[in-house]
Amino acid sequence: MASIDLDKMLAKIKSTQWALSDIDWDAPGAELITEEQWPKLKEFMADLMWIEHVGARAFAALAKKAPTDTLREIYSYFHAEEQRHANAEMALMRRWGMLEGDEIPEPNVNLRIIIEWLDRFADEMPVYVLGTVVPMLEIALDGALCTFLLETVKDPVCHQAFEKINDDESRHLGVGFTVMEMQGRSASYIKMVQMMARVMDPRLILGIASYMPLLNKMRDNVIAMGLPEEKLYKAMQKFERIGGRTEEGRRNPWFQLIKQHGRWVTNRSNKVYHVPVDALVKITGMVPRKALPAVPSWVKELTYEPTATR
Amino acid sequence: MSTTEDSKKMAKPKAPRKKAAAACKTTARRKTAARKKAPEKPQSVLIVGAGFAGLGMAIRLKQAGIEDFIILERGNAVGGTWRDNQYPGAACDIPSNLYSYSFAPNPNWSRSFSGSEEILDYVHHLVAEFGLEKHIRFEQNVAELRFDETKGIWTATTDKDVVFTGRAAVMAQGPLANCSFPAITGIEDFKGKKIHSARWDHDYDFSGKNVAVVGTGASGIQIIPELVKVAKHVKVFQRTPGWVMPRPDFSTPEWNKLLFRKVPASQQAMRELLYWSHESMALAVIWNSPLTRIAERIGKWHLRRQVKDRWLRRQLTPDFTIGCKRVLVSNDYYPALQKDNAKLITWPIARISEEGIRTVEGIEHQVDCIVFATGFDVSHSGTPFPVLGRGGRVMGDDWKGGAQAYKSINVSGYPNLFLTFGPNSGPGHNSALVYMESQLEYALKGIRKIVGEDLKVLDVREDAQQRFNKGIQKRLAKTNWNSGCKSWYLTEDGFNATMYPGFATQYAAQMSEFKEEDYQTA
Ligand SMILES: Cc1cc2nc3c(=O)[nH]c(=O)nc-3n(C[C@H](O)[C@H](O)[C@H](O)COP(=O)(O)OP(=O)(O)OC[C@H]3O[C@@H](n4cnc5c(N)ncnc54)[C@H](O)[C@@H]3O)c2cc1C
Ligand SMILES: [Fe+2]
Ligand SMILES: [Fe+2]
Repeated sequence: MASIDLDKMLAKIKSTQWALSDIDWDAPGAELITEEQWPKLKEFMADLMWIEHVGARAFAALAKKAPTDTLREIYSYFHAEEQRHANAEMALMRRWGMLEGDEIPEPNVNLRIIIEWLDRFADEMPVYVLGTVVPMLEIALDGALCTFLLETVKDPVCHQAFEKINDDESRHLGVGFTVMEMQGRSASYIKMVQMMARVMDPRLILGIASYMPLLNKMRDNVIAMGLPEEKLYKAMQKFERIGGRTEEGRRNPWFQLIKQHGRWVTNRSNKVYHVPVDALVKITGMVPRKALPAVPSWVKELTYEPTATR
Repeated sequence: MSTTEDSKKMAKPKAPRKKAAAACKTTARRKTAARKKAPEKPQSVLIVGAGFAGLGMAIRLKQAGIEDFIILERGNAVGGTWRDNQYPGAACDIPSNLYSYSFAPNPNWSRSFSGSEEILDYVHHLVAEFGLEKHIRFEQNVAELRFDETKGIWTATTDKDVVFTGRAAVMAQGPLANCSFPAITGIEDFKGKKIHSARWDHDYDFSGKNVAVVGTGASGIQIIPELVKVAKHVKVFQRTPGWVMPRPDFSTPEWNKLLFRKVPASQQAMRELLYWSHESMALAVIWNSPLTRIAERIGKWHLRRQVKDRWLRRQLTPDFTIGCKRVLVSNDYYPALQKDNAKLITWPIARISEEGIRTVEGIEHQVDCIVFATGFDVSHSGTPFPVLGRGGRVMGDDWKGGAQAYKSINVSGYPNLFLTFGPNSGPGHNSALVYMESQLEYALKGIRKIVGEDLKVLDVREDAQQRFNKGIQKRLAKTNWNSGCKSWYLTEDGFNATMYPGFATQYAAQMSEFKEEDYQTA
């Protein structure tokens, strides 16, 4: 598969927009959620919603940094689309009676930490880093979790919403991999050295330190929901498969790095990786919520209402 | 909106303003019906447009003793920009003492940056003081200009097929006179009220209304603070944030006005001071220099001081070099956005629906009224109406690859024709009227030559024009406008046919010399 034409992609994105009001959130089917499912689903949805936000915030950073006008515009659409996914997921939660009043659901602490990191540092990260990490997160978390959701939840409205969300996601991935290949094309020894210098950047180390336990934590969540963890790993291997399908893609040093990391995550017998990272998950799990800084104000933009007058 | 909707009254010095705006969509089409014969013997000069440029030309002609000229104006009142842009908060962003003609000073400006009404009053005052009224033909929408080489005559034909002739012609139809609603999907479906900033509807009552404002350029940032004062709720839809600078706006104390009246030289001195302070801004705005960084720092400081929320500040932070697009000035824009009844929306617009604006985050923002502060229809490669020169050549065709002129004012192949705000005459940092004055002087020199020496043809040489443009484009390549951001200054291909790459003083020097050897005469 050759790289896609980004100008055509932008036109396609613009012509295939959807809105919350395209879906009837009161249609029958909500009762198909079983009582046993409900509490786990609630936690799952809350996390999912926040994962959309991780993608959203990363796209927001890319929208400022991308090398061309077209890419910048594409990313500003993707940023908004991730917000739309979160809004739609919140509307589902409301439909299933999982929201108390107007409250925005709480994310798990690992997600909170990564959002905090993104909000502080994403704008300063090089396009290369974000451009590679984002497809991985999207494939692993967004992709795997959504498929899983559709396998376990019978509510037709949920299926309707995720059909639209998945259409968006396939475009996010298409662009993500194309950009990785573009970067690989221009990869060189100098880039490699620059990259290594970047890895030493304490801000990036902080980011890595939040990214690693996030993946393990999501794996735990997935297992708690009754999904075989292999599904998550399969999704992550898809990153390796698609990202490495061309010479250019393979030449992207960031791809190599993330791919290698993905291999560690999916290999449970790699104790050197999993013992300390699982410990990190435990530790962060003990961080009291109050110790975290206030959520950034963009979080308050979330809404499950298809229309707004204020 | 169409010209016929406008009031049919002739303009009095104080015409009713709300009705005075000309049509928003203005591409005049000539009917094919038989033309009326030109009524009189040719004028010395035909002027198209009764804004600052057309009226300024008229004043200079009169001062030079040329009386047989007419001004063709499609609207029913004078004032152009300032007749049309009467939205709440409309004002100039160059100090009034500089944004006025030096040959007609006004000692009575009430503030440093006067409002639209006051500027329009000044225009009406110019018309009265210099007796221009009798020269103006209102409701004459020029649809074609055509040169007859054998007679040395320009013919203007209106959309109603009325014909006027003159030995020289001055195009003063305004760089920002035409506007239209943007081509957003679904705009026709909207059931509420739609208003364009340049064609304000003064009868619409905003109190208690939910309002959307699309666009945050020069007009948008002036309108928003005023709307936030009266409307129930205002949602501001922004695509790209601009650089906003603090605005040193003061009301003029009475003693100051008195001083300007009694000692005109003191006002001249003030004008000089303002002129040079704006000239110095060229260093920051036009070229990427250490001053550019300083100007950007002032902009960021202004933002930080007025906006405390980190995310909102990020949304409002420009991501292009200052000066690449028009620099905005305002003290009350940022505070207005943070009022309880206001909200900034940066999600891209997906479409307009019956009830409001749908943005890409999936939400429909429902409003009673949408205000479009989306700017003007600017053409970089065409003319607003067909202009036919020697041998029937069409200026729009000659300009296919981007507009080109000699010193912004003459185009080879179109003799005896003078453009105001022609290609590469745009000021990025100083008053448009400062630039205008040197254009008017230059045109006057040419017109005097045509009339005085009884010339049929005064045509700039092709090679002179080419030489000039080579130089200009070379200098433009080094400016901030051509630094890689999109703006209305550039064509789709990034060709800059709009701005002048230098100081106003350099422009004035360029215009002060009339090189006869660059012209061919007959
Ligand atoms: C909101 C706003 C604020 C501005 N603020 C500043 C500022 O602070 N400083 C600055 O330097 N510049 C400013 N400008 C730029 C401003 O446009 C110029 O300074 C100046 O007013 C232009 O004058 P003009 O006579 O060339 O054009 P206009 O004022 O537009 O006049 C052109 C006239 O020609 C008429 N016309 C057009 N087409 C035809 C036709 N086919 N037939 C007959 N008549 C026709 C129009 O009806 C109009 O009356 C501003 C512009 C806008 C829109
Ligand atoms: Fe998503
Ligand atoms: Fe996504």
